[in-house]
Formats: sequence, structure tokens, C-alpha cells
Amino acid sequence: MKGERKRRVYRAPSSRQRLLGMLGRALPYVFLTLFSLPIISMYLWLFFSSFSRKVMFGFIPQEWTLHNWRFLWSPIQMGGAAHLSIWKATGNTLLFAGVVMLIVVFTATLSGFALSRFRFRGREELMRLSILLHAFPGVTLLIATFYVLYYLKLLNSIWGVAIARAALEIPWSTWIIKGFFDNIPWDIEWSAYVDGCNRFQAWYKVILPLLRPGIAAIAIFSFLAGWNDFIYPYTFIFTKENQTLSMLIKALIGEFRFTDYGLLASVSLFYILPVLVFFFFTQKGLMRVTVGGMKGGR
Amino acid sequence: MKPRPWRGRRRVFRFPTVILFLAPFLILVIAFFFVPALLNIVLAFTNMDSSLEWNFVGLQNYRLLFSDPQARQIAINTLVYVLCTLAINVGFGLILGLLTTYFVPENAGLLFRAIWMLPRMTPSVVYALLWLWVLDPTEYGLLNMVAKALTGAKPTFWTMQHPMGVVILVNGMVGASFGMIIFSAAIKSISKDYIMAAQVDGASHLGIVRSIILPLLRWPLMFVTIWQTLSLLASYEYILLVTNGGPFFKSEVWSLYAYHEAFAHRFYGYGAAIAMILVIVALIVTMIMLRVFGFKRLMELMG
Amino acid sequence: MASIKLEHLTKRFGKVVAVNDLNLEVRDGEFIALLGPSGCGKTTTLLMISGIYKPTEGNIYFDDVLVNEVAPKDRYVGLVFQSYALYPHMSVYNNIAFPLRLAKVPKKEIDRRVREVAKLTKIEDLLDRMPGQLSGGQQQRVALCRALVKEPEILLLDEPLSNLDARLRIETRAEIKRLQREVGITTILVTHDQVEAMTMAERVAVMHAGVLQQYGPPDELYDRPRNLFVASFIGDPPMNLVPVKFEKTDGTGRLVAQGFSLRLSEELTRLLSETGEEEFTLGIRPEDVALSQEETAEGFPGEVFLTEPLGGGTLVHFKFGETPFRVLAPKDLKIEIGDRFWIVPKQEKLHLFTADGLSVREKGHAEQG
Repeated sequence: MKGERKRRVYRAPSSRQRLLGMLGRALPYVFLTLFSLPIISMYLWLFFSSFSRKVMFGFIPQEWTLHNWRFLWSPIQMGGAAHLSIWKATGNTLLFAGVVMLIVVFTATLSGFALSRFRFRGREELMRLSILLHAFPGVTLLIATFYVLYYLKLLNSIWGVAIARAALEIPWSTWIIKGFFDNIPWDIEWSAYVDGCNRFQAWYKVILPLLRPGIAAIAIFSFLAGWNDFIYPYTFIFTKENQTLSMLIKALIGEFRFTDYGLLASVSLFYILPVLVFFFFTQKGLMRVTVGGMKGGR
Repeated sequence: MKPRPWRGRRRVFRFPTVILFLAPFLILVIAFFFVPALLNIVLAFTNMDSSLEWNFVGLQNYRLLFSDPQARQIAINTLVYVLCTLAINVGFGLILGLLTTYFVPENAGLLFRAIWMLPRMTPSVVYALLWLWVLDPTEYGLLNMVAKALTGAKPTFWTMQHPMGVVILVNGMVGASFGMIIFSAAIKSISKDYIMAAQVDGASHLGIVRSIILPLLRWPLMFVTIWQTLSLLASYEYILLVTNGGPFFKSEVWSLYAYHEAFAHRFYGYGAAIAMILVIVALIVTMIMLRVFGFKRLMELMG
Repeated sequence: MASIKLEHLTKRFGKVVAVNDLNLEVRDGEFIALLGPSGCGKTTTLLMISGIYKPTEGNIYFDDVLVNEVAPKDRYVGLVFQSYALYPHMSVYNNIAFPLRLAKVPKKEIDRRVREVAKLTKIEDLLDRMPGQLSGGQQQRVALCRALVKEPEILLLDEPLSNLDARLRIETRAEIKRLQREVGITTILVTHDQVEAMTMAERVAVMHAGVLQQYGPPDELYDRPRNLFVASFIGDPPMNLVPVKFEKTDGTGRLVAQGFSLRLSEELTRLLSETGEEEFTLGIRPEDVALSQEETAEGFPGEVFLTEPLGGGTLVHFKFGETPFRVLAPKDLKIEIGDRFWIVPKQEKLHLFTADGLSVREKGHAEQG
């Protein structure tokens, strides 16, 4: 390393090398766009076919029309039996999702608090159990839940099935709320007492506001879980009157698989509206919450 | 008095009060997790059907299952399905994670990750509808149109002719986003200094991925693999909606078989028995996971 | 051993200008320092030289070849990061061998060179350890090895001593200086510690807010600072800076400050009159001021406000209005708080800065020394 050795010659990169460099930098974008094309075209199709009569090349609309949206004001009648009114189905779905949300928020808040603030025997075991619960295949629960609901005479009842569905969301939502409680130091609560609050006032004025983001999160997630759910309503609800939107769409698919994509697309778009709204408003924040990764580096 | 940590609040809460707080949780979890779990074990040894009567029949269900020629095919299907979709979920999830965090700047990465989250956030019926259009056997299905444009091929009836492929793709497109999220977070948490040092040391982009990033992703990779294995074993909803296990059980997987037997044919007892096999396999995989990771680490990963 | 030339180098991050029109040259085999407070752009400059950042504007030349478009791996630079950035999953040996493996050097050759460079920094027995098992000083030497093993033309060091404790810092300073001389490689050291820069480098470039303030040998920076920033940044204890007004009565110039007034020499009077200005900042280093117990026309009176025994001398603090004034007094002088002395600054060591911070004595641009 010491003494004489041949010096390296510096050479500016040739224009060919620079071109290759630029191509190389563009390559990831090319790949990503290529990979994402199926998804993009699928959702574009959903949007476009709901508003057009005919579609060319799969999704470029030919005629703009609202004909496909007639289900909003007239009964869906095709190829045989009339289907449930869209508004009744929406009402059912709202009821279902609403009940899920209320039960989850209520239960998670109470149990999250207890698990956070109280040390009792079996706490570790309870947490261990939550992991095992995830491992449990859903179909096993489904079959036995059928009997449980039958036994409780809750089969085919929207709010009854909602209770069962809510139970699935309880473990993780309790976990989240517990985490929020863990982050509220006890001295804030004590300050409230010292400042003159009784138990309930402290809870309401001091603790609850700090909990708000957590409650909002689990409320939204559980509502969406209920709104989007297909299997539970499909398996446990039988009468047409009690159908949820997901069941309605499945019924429509069953019949119109080869016919009216336009109608199907518009009903679906109607159905996923809350999800899309939530999606667009929270995408960036959502990524950060779910990801939770910290940036390292200088 | 020295301030005590919040754990000292034990004495503020009396036992009965806690029970009150935990009551809803316990009721729901017992009624819809523990009872069904136990019930399933019991039902597996009955021949409950649409009459909803309990008749214990011992091991009859299992004898039936093991002599069922269908069952072997379904088991193989399940294996193929889980392994192939796992490859997509982990492998493609990794590729997506790398592409959106290392190879492109943050904003572009956010956009593409958002796009890939769409399938996961869409209700299953709608997602299935979209695929039904893609796979439409007429010339207007997206896949057929692309095939025609590329090779001039005639329309294919995809769900009939390639049911397993279809099922793997459908689940893969949704599943990849899980790995993508986990790996993106892991990659972003790698200190930029290592990347810069490797650049100066002379590594190309692929070299950096191979020598620096991948070795540091060992834990996330293992975690995603095992977690997704469990999820895939238990999944059947998308398969139900797109091929319904058809044609003639060609795309039927184990959990779907249990579902069909219980709810389509109303053989609840038989369905429960089929489901129990799945529980045993899932428990084994979970044990492996706990052994590999250790409980504490798993809590960290999940929390 | 390459020579480096930076021409109008600018780096912008959105609206923030990290490096602003930097012009600098480094001779073949020279050891220079980029000195400045955090955020002044020195690390950004280093990263541009190594090729990790691309300049927004301007050119970088190695041996008079434009290298703006050359990738880091083709620049033959060794870079030691402030955090050392040792790959945590690789042993010390593999960390050092990494660049050679990437260059596809044969195994035997790799082994020879790794051991050779390890001997140079005295870490031969650490080769099998993992980075997590090493102390800060050891990690730093491994990072140095990794940078040197590929026999680079240029060595870049980003605050290599800031994570070390005081004693180790002094030892390592000498080590690096010795190493550089032995190997003869063109080296750029980035630091915020002016003692480091002044003791190790042949020339020092002082930077502030992305702009080069002055570039020259240490003693030039010390004795002839071109502007207020350099004057206040270099030197420990720091230079005294007092806002003053220039007055001329009957051909004699005086500097009037809040609390004292000082008669000026003929030369200084002439210099200041020539500028045509009245407001200046007076700069004088504590060691260039004498204390007298007798009244003298060359000085002004002051009352001791605080004393700091420094071992080799005493730092005596005075206060004029709100402005502190420090004098380095010889060890054997007995000084108590409240004592009155006549403060006599050496006229030839007086620095005067105009309202925009430029030295009256050293006119001209802040460029290559």
C-alpha cells in the first residue's frame, strides 16, 4: 500500500453508459406499473362499466348512462324472481355493521381498561390464548357457531349474527385499546382526582378524550369488517328479507354471471362506497399505523 | 411518598369490579370461541345433519373420510394451493416491498402500496366479481382479451380449464399485500448508512439487496411465511366465490370441503370432522412458530 | 492519490440549499479538513464527492476528469461514516473483505490485503469478532480498514472522532495523521471540532450555512481570519468580539465601545479611515492582550469579574456593558475578583470587521489559500 503503485485513471462515463443508467433507474417503475396494471384495470372497469352501456376493450366506456343505477329507484328484476330492494339490503347491512361496531367498542373499551390497569393471575395466559385464537381455522368456528346460534335462537337474525361476528374482532381490538390505556400514565388520572373529579368525571373528562383516536380506529375498522363481511351473513341468514348487500351481490352474480355486468358493477360500486371513502381519506395515515416502522439512518 | 408505577393500582381494583369489566369480553369469547372450539371436537364424533340431532357415532366420520377418494385429491389440492400461494405471498410480497421502498422514492412507493392494498380492503364479493370479469369465458373477459391481443388465442374458459391456477392467482393478489407491508416496514427501518457504505464499497443495487437487505430481513421473512401458511390453510372464501371448488372438486381445498359438507350438504357432523383435521395441522404449525420465535418475540412482532 | 476540484458546487433539497456555490481544490496527497457547525453542508459535500448524492449544480473533477456521472463504486473513494456503518451481520473480516469480494478479487489476494490493512490499524486479533462485540474505537478502526483495503485514491472521513471519548480522541487523531502520511492518500476530514481540524489538516476549509468562508493553512485561519465567522469559530478560548465606533480626533483614531475607549496605532487609524465607515466589530484573542497594573495610554481600565484557572494560565473575565472580554493572564500573576487592571491589547493583533462581517485587514474573496 505504500510506495509506488499504478494510479487509477478516471474516465467520465460514456453516453452509452449514461443511457443504460437512465434505463436502469426507470426499470423499477416499469415493473411496478406492469404488475399493478391488472388491479388498476379491474377497478377502472368497475367504475366505467357501472356508468356505460357498452364497454370497448374491456373498460373504455362507449355510452355514458345512468341506466345501470336504476336499482336505486326501481326493484331489481331480472331473469326470474325479484330481488331484494337495495335500500332494504343497505339497511340490513347498516344494522349488521352498526351492531358489530357497538359491541366491539363497548367490549374492547371495558376489557382493555381492565387488562391494562389490573394485574391478575392468568393475564399472560390470556394473551397467549389470543395468539392461538388466530391460529384457529375459521371454518371450524363457523360450523360450531351455527349450532350455538341455533341453540340461542339467533339464526337468521341480523343482530344475532352480528354478535357472533363481533366476537371475532374482540381480541385484537381489546389489544389496541389496552395499548392506548397503557400509554395513559396513572398520574394524569390521579391529577384529575386531586383536582376534584370523582371516578366518573375523571373517566369522562380526562381519560376518554385521550382514548379517542384508539376508539375511533377500532370503531371504523370493526364497522368496515361488519359492512364488508360475506361469510357470516351468507351462512347464517336465510330469508331474503334479511339479506345484506354482500349476500345480494352474491345472489346477483349467481344469476347474471353472463349478462348484466353494468348492473353488477354499479351495485358493487354502491356497496364499496364507504370503503373507498375511508380508503382515500386515510391512506397515508393508515400506512403509518399498520406499518409502524421507524426510519433509521443519519 | 415515592410515586409508584401504575402497576401498583392493583389495590384500587377489587376482584368483583374487574369481573364486571371483563364480563362482556369473557361472555363473547367463551360463547363464540371456546364453546365452538370444544363443540367442534364433539360434533366431529356425531352424525349431526339437517335434523340437528346429536347421535354419537364414534370414529365413523373419520373412517368415511379416509376411505373417500375425493379426500385424497382435496388434500393434494390443499398442499398445492398453500405452497404456490405462499410462494406468491412471500416472494412477490418481498418484491413489492423492495420495489416500493428501496428502488423508488417514498411518494411513488406510497402510491403503489396503496394500489396493492385495494384488493385486501375490498369486500370479498366485489373482489370476486372483478375476477369473474377478468376470467370471463367470452371474448370480453380481460384475460381473454389480453391473450387475444398477445397471441391471437381463442377465448378460454379459465375457471373450468385452470381452476387451481385461478384460485392461486386470486388469493395471491390479495395475500401479497400482507408481506408487502411487513417487508416495507422492515426495509425502511434499515439504517441508510449501511446502504451508503455498500454503495461506496462497490455494490450494485442487486448486490445491496442480496448482501445487506435480505440478511437483515430474516426474521420478517420467517414470520410472514409461517403466518401466511396458517392463513392459507384456513382460507376458503375467495375460492368459494370464484370457483366454488369446481369443476368437480378440482379446486376444492380442505377448509372449503368442510364448509361444503356442513352447509351445502348439511352434514354438520361430517363437516366438523373434516375441520378437526385442519385444526390439528394448524396447531402443529403454530407450535413450530412458537418454538422458532419464542413467545416474547412474537408479541413484539405483533404489538 | 487523486487531486480533487469542486467547481460551483451546489446542492439543493427542495427549497433548502445545503451547499451553495462551493469552489475548492485539494492537491494530490493532501490532507484537508471541512470545518463548520452542524448543518453547514460539510457532510453533504462529502457525500457528493463520494457519489452518493448528485450535485444540483456544479462540477466535481478527479485528476481533472469530470466525474459527476460516475457511480460511487467507480470513484475509488473510501468513506468512513460517523456511525461507522459496519454491516451487523458480517464478521470484522468479512466487513473489511466486502469491497474486495465485490470487485471479484481472488480469495488469496483478499486474505493478504485484509490482514495487511488490519495490521496497519492494529486490529489483527479482532478479525473474527462481530461488530456488536467491539468498542467504539475498535469499530472505527474496522471502518477505516474497510475504507482503505481497496486502496482508494481518496479517503473521506465523516466526523470519525466525535463518537470517541476524550482520551481516545487524542490518540486516534495522531494515528490517523500518521496513517495518512504513511499511505500518502488524498484525504478530506469533516468535523465540527476546530481543534481536530487545526491539528490534523494541512489546509482547512471553514463552511457556514452551505457557503465556504475561508480556505487555507491553520495558522492563516488563526492569525488572519477573513470574516467574523471564521474569527469567532476558530480558537479556543474564542476571540473577544466587541462592537465599537471609530472616531478620529486630531489625526488620532480611537475605538469607542460601551465601557471603554482605546487609542489606535497610526497604521490602524489609516486603515479604518480609508473604509469611510464608523461601526466595526473589534476582535482580539485573549492571549494577545496584556494586563498592566499601571495606567497606560495604550490601554483601558477594567474590573475583574471572574477568573478561570486553566492550569497553564488564568482566563480573566471582564465585562463591558453586556459584552464579555477575556484575557489570558500568565500563571504567576495574582488576580482576585474585583481587582482593577489596565487592559493593553497588542495593536498588531487587533482584528477589525466591518458591519457586514468582513475583515478590514484581509480584503478579498474567501477562496483557495
